[in-house]
Amino acid sequence: MKVLLRLLDKVRPTFEDGGRLHLLHPAFEAIEHFLFSPSQTTITAPHVRDPLDLKRFMSMAIISLVPCILAGLYFYGLRFIAIIVVSYAAGLTVELIFAIARKEGINEGFFVTGILFPLIMPPAVPLWMVALGVAFGVFIGKEIFGGTGRNLFNPALVGRCFLALAYPAQMSGSWLAPATELGGRVLKYVDGSNLDAVTTATPLALAKQGEFVSTAHMFVGNVAGSIGETSAIAILAGGIFLLMTRVGSWRTVVSTLASFAVLAAILRHAQPDRFGPVLWHLCAGGLLFGAFFMTTDPVTGPVTNTGKWLYGAVIGATTVLIRNFTGYVEGVTFAILLGNIVAPILDEAVFAVRLRRLRSEG
Amino acid sequence: MRFKGGYNVLFQGKPDGAVQTMPEPEKLYLPLRSERFHFSSLSVEEGQQVQAGDVLATDPDNFDIPLLAPRAGRVRLEQAENHIVLESIEGLPEHAELDGREILHAEQKAGTAAAKREALVRLGAWQFLYDAHTQALPDPTGTPQAVIVSTVSLEPFLVRGDVLLHRRLLNFTRGLEHLQSLLEYQPIYFAIPDIRSEFADLVRNHIRGYAWVKLLEIPLVYPYDDFAILARGLELSSGNGPVWAVRTEGVLAIDQALTLDRPCLTRTIAIGGTGVVSPSHIEVAPGYPLKAITDKYVFEPNPRIIDGGILTGKVFGDEALGIGTECRGITVLPELKEREFLGFARPGSDRGSFSACFLSSLTHRIRERLTTAMRGELRPCVSCNFCEEVCPAGISPHLIHKYLYRDLIEEAAQARVDLCVECGLCSYVCPSKIDLRAQFTEARELIEQDKREAREAKAREEAVEETSA
Ligand code: SF4
Ligand code: SF4
Repeated sequence: MKVLLRLLDKVRPTFEDGGRLHLLHPAFEAIEHFLFSPSQTTITAPHVRDPLDLKRFMSMAIISLVPCILAGLYFYGLRFIAIIVVSYAAGLTVELIFAIARKEGINEGFFVTGILFPLIMPPAVPLWMVALGVAFGVFIGKEIFGGTGRNLFNPALVGRCFLALAYPAQMSGSWLAPATELGGRVLKYVDGSNLDAVTTATPLALAKQGEFVSTAHMFVGNVAGSIGETSAIAILAGGIFLLMTRVGSWRTVVSTLASFAVLAAILRHAQPDRFGPVLWHLCAGGLLFGAFFMTTDPVTGPVTNTGKWLYGAVIGATTVLIRNFTGYVEGVTFAILLGNIVAPILDEAVFAVRLRRLRSEG
Repeated sequence: MRFKGGYNVLFQGKPDGAVQTMPEPEKLYLPLRSERFHFSSLSVEEGQQVQAGDVLATDPDNFDIPLLAPRAGRVRLEQAENHIVLESIEGLPEHAELDGREILHAEQKAGTAAAKREALVRLGAWQFLYDAHTQALPDPTGTPQAVIVSTVSLEPFLVRGDVLLHRRLLNFTRGLEHLQSLLEYQPIYFAIPDIRSEFADLVRNHIRGYAWVKLLEIPLVYPYDDFAILARGLELSSGNGPVWAVRTEGVLAIDQALTLDRPCLTRTIAIGGTGVVSPSHIEVAPGYPLKAITDKYVFEPNPRIIDGGILTGKVFGDEALGIGTECRGITVLPELKEREFLGFARPGSDRGSFSACFLSSLTHRIRERLTTAMRGELRPCVSCNFCEEVCPAGISPHLIHKYLYRDLIEEAAQARVDLCVECGLCSYVCPSKIDLRAQFTEARELIEQDKREAREAKAREEAVEETSA
């Protein structure tokens, strides 16, 4: 490893101010700090720091997505890998351009966006749309706000929302029937043109026509849907890991799912023939995925714990309403984006109450 | 009493309970500045011969608190900047500690409370008192609303109460009696550690029957021993008058001053940290040469030597030659030497974290070998809320940070940055490596300054009005 470090030290001047490639400094720095932990030391007290940094923090989110990635690979085959590669390439380009322009480092947050985005794509989506969507999401959803930490919206969801509005036909026509054969499609490349992969409607779309897919199938994941969203088991496995690391807040997840379940139960109770059963709804579509991996994004959610409870409630309730009372089959994307908008307001309210209480202290 | 936040940083080099006596030095280097004091008004001349306990200098801004000569010797004023040097040191005459121990209780005759307080200032015991809210030196003639006494010391690594009290419990309880005799009816809150410990039992047995002492049990989580936190928890608001606070060493010094009429000329301090050979406690005179201590205890070739604990201490500057009068511990940390390959991707069974992102959180918490490494890049706040969860003061560090980032001092003041006790935990846990504590210290100073200026301006205005009227 010493050799590697010496090599980095040798090429460093090329990327520093005055060097030939100084424009690419953010890229160099990202690689250097990926390989070796930074050399900075503390200047003032506290003289020691927690080992957790943003790289680790974001890595935890990526690790928690591994079960979903594997499930996606199993059900939809090698094409998923192509989607991931395109997503990272396109997103990283935008990120790098902005890092250079802003003279800041490349933010680790992007690496989560880059994998979240493929997981919420329909499996047969054209690759150019993946590139366009992720670039749009990173640009509009994040960079114009000033980068990770300052963004209002979840970039992956902004990208998906954009595609859904700009290309509704391609988005809703790109579903694939998941693999049914033993061994899945781990070694196959399947897109819309393959004969064995008939484009089918998702469970939520079918439900609008009064047809309910079995909950057990949705739990395992062999139903049509976005690549990472279909398998409830995989989501739960990764999601619970995420909550255990404390990177994602359990409060948000519990609140989202609980408010969703309560409202869905009320509807079911009122008109059992019109609304689906609660457990069915919980497993259908992107709800679980959104609840575990999108609402828990710390940047775009509220900071305070009270705010998190309210935030989850807004998202859960909105999802039920959109799903059951509008023309849209899926409501999670819009619900979470709405949640992103109200998150700062919720925090403001919590702070206002807290500051009033603090006023007389001390 | 309810506590919020708090967290114990565990790392190698915890001082053991032994107290070692350092050999008498040839010279003492007494710094003229310490955390709270600046002994700017000199009382001695170059070359003057002084006796142990003589006043070398006083601090005119702090009720003329004296800097005492810890040993007999000759004064040198020019040898080192900002220090008074004593050379040709003579050892202290051997007093048997025993003569004090035979006196079971504080004697009642010892004079009025005012005379006692004067004696405490003169004999160097008063400097162990703090105003709980401001950490400043309280006015010796003032009347507190209450007194907080604490034997708990939670910051790693400062001198521990149980070590100081070893075989001195009697002196301590007698010191408490003296303390009480300075007051009228104000309560003394006595903070003791975790009720289950053997030490707590011992202390409890000793003060049984002191009705004016109210026991306060505090969990052993940093920084619940902070006086401002305790005062707030006890609802002793600063609007109702000062709250005095004193630690174990202070009570022992009070006992020594009022029972034996003897100044406090030796300190027990902790020496610990990752870079120390055998972390323990040492008994030294103030002014003891720093180098003699580090030569004996530090093995690291390139250490950072800190005056105080790991979370709030200050680095000893190059010009620092001796132990200050307020020093409670020396912490030694190795500077970062090696950059870790793929550091962020390690499983992490060898490192402890506030988050649960490392393998060690599944097993047990380990004492880590910490260095001065920042362990990450500076990034914008990601709103993870860790800082708020860990903050003992109940404020929102990330919110204040965002205000300060945009230079909104006014808003930061409204978010009560002044309640921050500068424990440093927020900076410690922040994954974006933001120096929150340093920012808050700066903001608090700015706010204080604004207030002072506003007060002065008002006073000037009033003066003008009076003259014109
Ligand atoms: S804001 Fe102040 S009191 Fe709170 S954790 Fe940070 S340093 Fe400690
Ligand atoms: S710990 Fe750091 S990153 Fe997390 S909320 Fe506080 S300031 Fe922001």
